[in-house]
Amino acid sequence: MPDTQHDHAPTRSLRLGVAGPVGTGKSSLIALLCRELSGTLQLGVITNDIYTDEDARFLRSAGVLDPERIRAVETGACPHTAIRDDVTANLLAVEDLEEDFAPLDVVLVESGGDNLTATFSPALVDAQIFVLDVAGGGDVARKGGPGISRADLLVVNKTDLAPYVGVDVPQMVADATAARDGGPVLALSRLDRESIDALTAWLHGLLAEHRAGSHVPQDPGPMAPHFHADEDGDGVLHSHDDGDHDHAHGDQDHGDHDHGAAHDHAEDHVDTAPVPAVRA
Amino acid sequence: MGEGAGPDGRGELMLALLADARLPTGGHTQSAGLEPALRAGMDPARVPDYLRARLATVTRVEAATAVVARHVVMPDATGCGPSSGAAAMALAETWHAWAARTPSAALRDTSQRLGRGYLRLLRRLWAGDPRVLALDEAARLVTADHAADRASDLGRDQARGVEGSDDESATADGRGRAASGTRNRGAQPPRPLVLGVTAACAGLSALQVARLVGYEDTQTVAAATLKLAPIDPVDATGWVVAAQPAIDALAYDVAPLTDPRAIPAHGAPLVEQWAEIHARTTERLFSA
Repeated sequence: MPDTQHDHAPTRSLRLGVAGPVGTGKSSLIALLCRELSGTLQLGVITNDIYTDEDARFLRSAGVLDPERIRAVETGACPHTAIRDDVTANLLAVEDLEEDFAPLDVVLVESGGDNLTATFSPALVDAQIFVLDVAGGGDVARKGGPGISRADLLVVNKTDLAPYVGVDVPQMVADATAARDGGPVLALSRLDRESIDALTAWLHGLLAEHRAGSHVPQDPGPMAPHFHADEDGDGVLHSHDDGDHDHAHGDQDHGDHDHGAAHDHAEDHVDTAPVPAVRA
Repeated sequence: MGEGAGPDGRGELMLALLADARLPTGGHTQSAGLEPALRAGMDPARVPDYLRARLATVTRVEAATAVVARHVVMPDATGCGPSSGAAAMALAETWHAWAARTPSAALRDTSQRLGRGYLRLLRRLWAGDPRVLALDEAARLVTADHAADRASDLGRDQARGVEGSDDESATADGRGRAASGTRNRGAQPPRPLVLGVTAACAGLSALQVARLVGYEDTQTVAAATLKLAPIDPVDATGWVVAAQPAIDALAYDVAPLTDPRAIPAHGAPLVEQWAEIHARTTERLFSA
C-alpha cells in the first residue's frame, strides 16, 4: 500500500520556492507575504539558511506567522543540493507542515542564499520566485541564468534604495524583462504599496491556477544539451539556452531517450499571470 | 554470502549506487554525530578514533539491523519467499530490537527521518514489490504497538492519579518531539530497516549491506569533517581507506545474523549524549 501519510499529504498546498543570491531580501519577501496574506490564507514556511537558523528566527520575530509554522531545514552547507538534486529533507519538511497544519494554502520554501545558478527542482516546488535587489547592481539582471530567465516571477527588490546605489530601476526592469523574453518582472519595495499589491495579486492568480489544476510547474533549471534521434539513426544534439525552441518534445521522440514529465517545458514562455512592472 | 548477488554484477552496481553520496535520500544533511562531537571539544585529529568507536558501537547496531531486516524478507534456498504476514512480523520484531538497542531518542529520530528518505526511493524504484508491502505492514504493526503502549501508560498514570502527561507522544521512537517538529504520525521505519529491505530488492548480499552501512557511516563523518574543520580532503579520504579493515571486520561479524534477538547492543553514551544535545542546538550546519 502506498504511503498515504507522506507521499500523499492530506491536503496538497501550493508549494512556492523563493531563491536568489544572499542578502537580496528573500526572508523579507516571505515576511511581507506572511504579513499581507496570513489573515486570508493558511501559510507555512520552510527555510534553508546556509548555516544558521537566522532566517527562521527573523521570520518568527517578525511576528507575522505562528512560529510553529516556520521550520528550518539544515542542508549540511549544501543549499543548492537541498533545493535541486536531493530535495529529500525539504520535501519531508513540507509534507510534515502540510500534515500538521492541514489544510494549508501555500508553503513558502526559502532557499539558502546561493549564486545565480541555483533554482528549485519541480520535484520540490510548484512555482518559484527569483529575487534580485537593486543594491546588487543594475547589471545583474542582464547576466541571466536559469533563475533570472525562467523563474515564474523575477522580483527586483529594494527599489527604494535605487537613488542611493545609482541604479536606474526602469532600465533594470527592462533588462530583466528582455532576459526573460517578456516574462513577469516585479519591481518591489516594502515602502511601495502598489508593488506589494502587485505581488499578492500575482500569488493569488497563481494559487487560483494551482487549485484549478491549470498550473503546470515549469523547470527553470539549466537544460542539459540533449540528443534527438531521427529515423536514419542520426540525430541532432541541441540545448535550450540558445533560442533553439522550434521542436515539440513528446511528439517526435523515437524512444531513444526518455524525456519524462520534467521535460515538458513551455517552449513559448506562456505567462500565467502577467504582472506589469511597477515603476518605483 | 553471495546470496542475492547475481552473477551479472547487479549487486556490485547497486552497492555503488546506494553508497553514492549523490543518492537522493538527504544524506547531505548528516554528519553522523560529528558536528556535536566537535562542538563538545573533540579534536578533529581524533576523527579516526571517532570512526573506530562508531564502527564498534552504534554503526554495528545499524549494520546488524540492516542485515537481519534483509534476511527476514529474502526468499529461502527453495526460492520461496516468506509470507508477507510473516515477513511483516519479522520486520516489526527487528524494528523493536533496533529501538531497544538505540536508547537515544535523538538518534532514533534521525534514523527514522533518514528512513523516510530511503523509503521514498524504495517505493518509487521497487513499487509493488511484496517486500516493500511487508515493510508498510510492519509500520502498521509498530504503530499499533505504540498506540497500545500509550494506552497502557495512560492507564497506569490514571491509576496513579497523574495528570495527562504533556509529552504522551514522546514514545520509544521519539515521535512528537519538538525538535523534530513531528506530531502523532504513524511509526516511521528506521533507516537500517528500510536499507535492509532495499538491499533485498536491489540484490545485495548480507555482507554487502553490512559493508554499505559501515562505509556510509565512515564516509559521512569524513565528508562532514571537511565542512567543519580545516582538513585536507585527501587526508579525510585516507581515513576512510584506513578504516577498511575495521569496516570489513564489522561486516563479517554481522553478516551471518538472521535473528533480531542476535543484533548486538553496543551503546556509545558519549555519542548518544552529543546527539541529544545537538537535537536541541540552534545554528547547526547538519541536521544530526
